[in-house]
Amino acid sequence: MGTLLLVGTRKGLFLLRSDEARREWELEGPTLVGWSVYHAARDPRDGVVYAAANNWVYGATVQRSDDLGKSWERAEQLGLPEESGLKLEAAWHVEPGHESQPGTLWLGGDPGVLFRSDDSGATWEPVRGILEHPTRERWHPGAGGLCCHSVQVDPSDPNRLYVAISAAGAFRSDDAGESWEPVNAGVAAEFLPDKYPEVGQCVHKLLLHPRQPDRLWQQNHCGVYRSDNRGSSWERLDGNGLPSGFGFPIMIHPRDPDVALVIPEEGAENRVTCDGRLGVYRTRDAGASWELAAGGLPESAWAVILREASSSDGLDPAGLYFGTQGGSVFASPDEGSTWLEAASELPPVLSVEAAGWP
Amino acid sequence: MAVILLPSLLASEAGGRNRFETDATTVGEALRQLPIANLVFDDHGKLRRLVNVYVDGVDIRGRGGTEVALDGAETVRVVAAVAGGIAP
Repeated sequence: MGTLLLVGTRKGLFLLRSDEARREWELEGPTLVGWSVYHAARDPRDGVVYAAANNWVYGATVQRSDDLGKSWERAEQLGLPEESGLKLEAAWHVEPGHESQPGTLWLGGDPGVLFRSDDSGATWEPVRGILEHPTRERWHPGAGGLCCHSVQVDPSDPNRLYVAISAAGAFRSDDAGESWEPVNAGVAAEFLPDKYPEVGQCVHKLLLHPRQPDRLWQQNHCGVYRSDNRGSSWERLDGNGLPSGFGFPIMIHPRDPDVALVIPEEGAENRVTCDGRLGVYRTRDAGASWELAAGGLPESAWAVILREASSSDGLDPAGLYFGTQGGSVFASPDEGSTWLEAASELPPVLSVEAAGWP
Repeated sequence: MAVILLPSLLASEAGGRNRFETDATTVGEALRQLPIANLVFDDHGKLRRLVNVYVDGVDIRGRGGTEVALDGAETVRVVAAVAGGIAP
């Protein structure tokens, strides 16, 4: 078993393949030429690849490939009801549904919207519980729009879902997406008059740990957080070795729920990696302490890594991956201890997602 | 039959075809028959802002838009708006 990386860029989708050693990578692509691929994922249930694709003229769509990108099928009209007063601005993140629900997928988009498909991505319906959420008037867009960028499905309960929206916060559903409860207690929104509101937090990326699904991690505009109770409360984790609480991507270990990695940036007003270097920081103790895990990464760099542009695979040792706005993809075959450049000179990398291969 | 010509990305999305013939009586009807209709119209059914349509070389905007009539002898050309800068 090796690893396949789906690398979404501003100019199409690239595929990177490697064997189990994950030290030599073969580049294929681009496919979906003309599309900005905000995120792509391979459905573990059937191997189909889905891409959240956007074009500056032709709008947002979802593309589907059952032959690993050789051919694509576009979804039918993706949009929002006119009476909502909202227009779809972008497709952000496509997430395969629970393993017990073949054909079900979720799609997060801008302006703070979630879609559900029950026909393997051919048609998509907006989720009313998010579209008409009673707190929506308190949501506000950031630099990336009002983007629903994180969608997580609890593997232990098909009815439990999470979404995170910038800047609206995190929401949990316990009834398969019908209703959504804000889960932002303890998460700061330092840019608002009320620093700890019910909603309005700027989550940059939220992940659920598949082996311990009550545990969530988030990289936020205002810190790094962990929840051990399905988002009901959060503990702030920056400091103790992290040079900054600001950043976008977060990676987790596929088996050890105490391991997470972030790539801090200087801050909201200077969005480049800290200290003029490309530094990944790893915790092995659930966020109590952080260490620099940057062996092999450029020591002189002012890099930008977007929120969708990191991932981990399921192998042992775990592989970790991220891509930069400068068009590089870095891979670590040993859980972050050492890194190598798997690809360079790509268009700006928008997303990286790892999947099993073949 | 009027002829519709598509730019490269739309042709790719239409299975590689950049030329379609139509007996539609308006530009809107002609475009909605295409397999890429959901790329030229937005989610509310409006022609996307940066999609330009020319009938025999004349921009339909300001001349009736998608209601411009076709009598079957025209060439309808779909063109993505020209732009520079960093947005794409």
